[in-house]
Amino acid sequence: MEDDVKKVKKPGIVSPFKRVFLKGEKGRDKKAQEKATERRALHTFSLSQPDHRIDPDILLNDYIEKEVKYLGQLTSVPGYLNPSSRTEVLQLIDNARKSHQLAGQLTSEQDAVVSLSAYNIKLVWRDGEDIILRVPIHDIAAVSYIRDDSLHLVVIKTAQESGGSPCPSSCPDLNKSQTLSSLSESGAVLVEVCCLLVLAVDNKAAAEELCLLLSQVFQIVYTESTIDFLDRAIFDGATTPTRHLSLYSGEDDSSSKVDVKEAFDAEGGTFPFQVSVEAEGNSPTTSTQASPQTKTASEGELSTTAAELLQDYMTTLRTKLSSQEIQQFATLLHEYRNGSSIHEFCINLRQLYGDSRKFLLLGLRPFIPEKDSQHFENFLETIGVKDGRGIITDSFGRYRRTASSASDSTTNGNGAVGGGSDSAASDEGQETSEGDEWDRMITDISNDIEALGCSMDQEGMNP
Amino acid sequence: MTMDDMKNEAATASIVSMAVYAVMYPVFNQLEQVNLSAAQTLRAAFIKAEKENPGLTQDLIIKILERKNLKINYSESLLRMAADDVEEFMIDRREPEFQELNERARALKHVLSTIPDEINDRVGFLPTIKDIASAIKELLDTVNTVFRKYQYPNRRALEQQKKEFVKYSKRFSDTLKTYFNDGKAMNVFVSANRLIHQTNMILQAFKTVG
Repeated sequence: MEDDVKKVKKPGIVSPFKRVFLKGEKGRDKKAQEKATERRALHTFSLSQPDHRIDPDILLNDYIEKEVKYLGQLTSVPGYLNPSSRTEVLQLIDNARKSHQLAGQLTSEQDAVVSLSAYNIKLVWRDGEDIILRVPIHDIAAVSYIRDDSLHLVVIKTAQESGGSPCPSSCPDLNKSQTLSSLSESGAVLVEVCCLLVLAVDNKAAAEELCLLLSQVFQIVYTESTIDFLDRAIFDGATTPTRHLSLYSGEDDSSSKVDVKEAFDAEGGTFPFQVSVEAEGNSPTTSTQASPQTKTASEGELSTTAAELLQDYMTTLRTKLSSQEIQQFATLLHEYRNGSSIHEFCINLRQLYGDSRKFLLLGLRPFIPEKDSQHFENFLETIGVKDGRGIITDSFGRYRRTASSASDSTTNGNGAVGGGSDSAASDEGQETSEGDEWDRMITDISNDIEALGCSMDQEGMNP
Repeated sequence: MTMDDMKNEAATASIVSMAVYAVMYPVFNQLEQVNLSAAQTLRAAFIKAEKENPGLTQDLIIKILERKNLKINYSESLLRMAADDVEEFMIDRREPEFQELNERARALKHVLSTIPDEINDRVGFLPTIKDIASAIKELLDTVNTVFRKYQYPNRRALEQQKKEFVKYSKRFSDTLKTYFNDGKAMNVFVSANRLIHQTNMILQAFKTVG
């Protein structure tokens, strides 16, 4: 009987409050539904199971998007935080949610899209596509999945943005206006800090998928950078000192040069090295394997690998710059060689190359003299260009000098790669002649580049 | 025969004698405890036979393995064994640079010999590659130091040996790149063996010229 009563719809007045409330609810639902239908489809791919494998080409040449909820980012987190410790991480998150640093309730307002590639992860709001943040892969230290009841959290530990001071271990929420000297005066122990990017996903499968995708990104990136590291190590050690001023003999042995180039000629290719070539929309590739170009007699006076690098760079410029831009590059190079500052050179080149071609600056490394190399490296870092993929793998401490070994000989007369500490006294006369030779080569290359620009103009004019 | 065939043949020839010093020498060393004379005779015979017929020892070993139905990957096993010092190659000179050369060569051979254990785990293999890179560089740095400090009448021969080492180092790097695409570990083992052989040849070159 009661059931029958329940089933019968009672006609009559509906409570006005209910009417308004329901109308509001319906309105919100309708809006949410409209929003959902308005939202664009994600750029995604099917992944092979069970390990969610994705074609590496997609991560290198394309990207993949996943829907997440962005809870927020915690900064100045002690770097010693163990990302594998559920307790530690949840404690931080709980405190942050209590203090409203992270979102408490999860609503559609936190809806976001994470875009993943071999270069960075990018977070944008689901609606409006405004960018929230971008983290280069080399800034990611760890990724954790934590299930907290019904909440599936993916926590990404990243480097603190540049400008963040080391933080006293006892005070994670340090006011950044405090100076390091005041910190040391207070006796606090300084610790490195990091950030935690806190995301939520729908379920365990989604969390595992995201973690595994990031794992594959790490594999790709760190595999490539490891091989680059190996190549650099071989390159670094391969260059025989062009000067052999023995403490015992006191003589220069100019016949001691090893023509390492021959070893690579036998392989039918140049030594692959640093330049990553990224055209718009294309993936970076390692440098070309083109056979070495004709070698002038003067090039034999210097490290043959330096000559190869110059040729490689010219080849790259030809593919990346227009004729007018090549001429501009030649002008800038000429000005730099004639005394303009490294700072000006860098700024002007950066303007010339623009954002999409700023990686070309990497290829200049070997040609920057010792005295300017630090500024150059700092400049690369400020514009977010390092190693083609943002990975620094300098474990030798001499890597930068290695890259500038071609110009090194003009400054300190030590042709040994990075081996300044081992070298004996230099011979100034021969240092001058080698420096002159280098200058002459650069001038020749500049002229060639200018001529290249002119010839490209003519090619453009002729049908 | 194509150019590639010739290259492969030359590369293969460069390591066939590893079978003598990496596999047979330890056997002869053990045999010396039992019968010194027989061991020394056998050693001399193998050296001579290998010299006249490069690859003979390797063929013999492989045939023995087949006959015994031992499912052993020859290249992988050779790589694991190749870390051991070969007394015949160790440089006797007491100067620090030459002792360092021995040490650097030993370190490189050791880390290369760990490849079979690490290659299947990418997370562990990448640090191994970095260690190999460091070891290669340190060996080359030491070679360069010796070049700087000491004068040799037949320096060209030493430089040539260094060039060969650099060439095989680069080939090893190329092989790794290919491995990360095709997953064929065997090629990495073979390339690592060649690099070990070149390491021994550097030691031999500095030993004989000194």
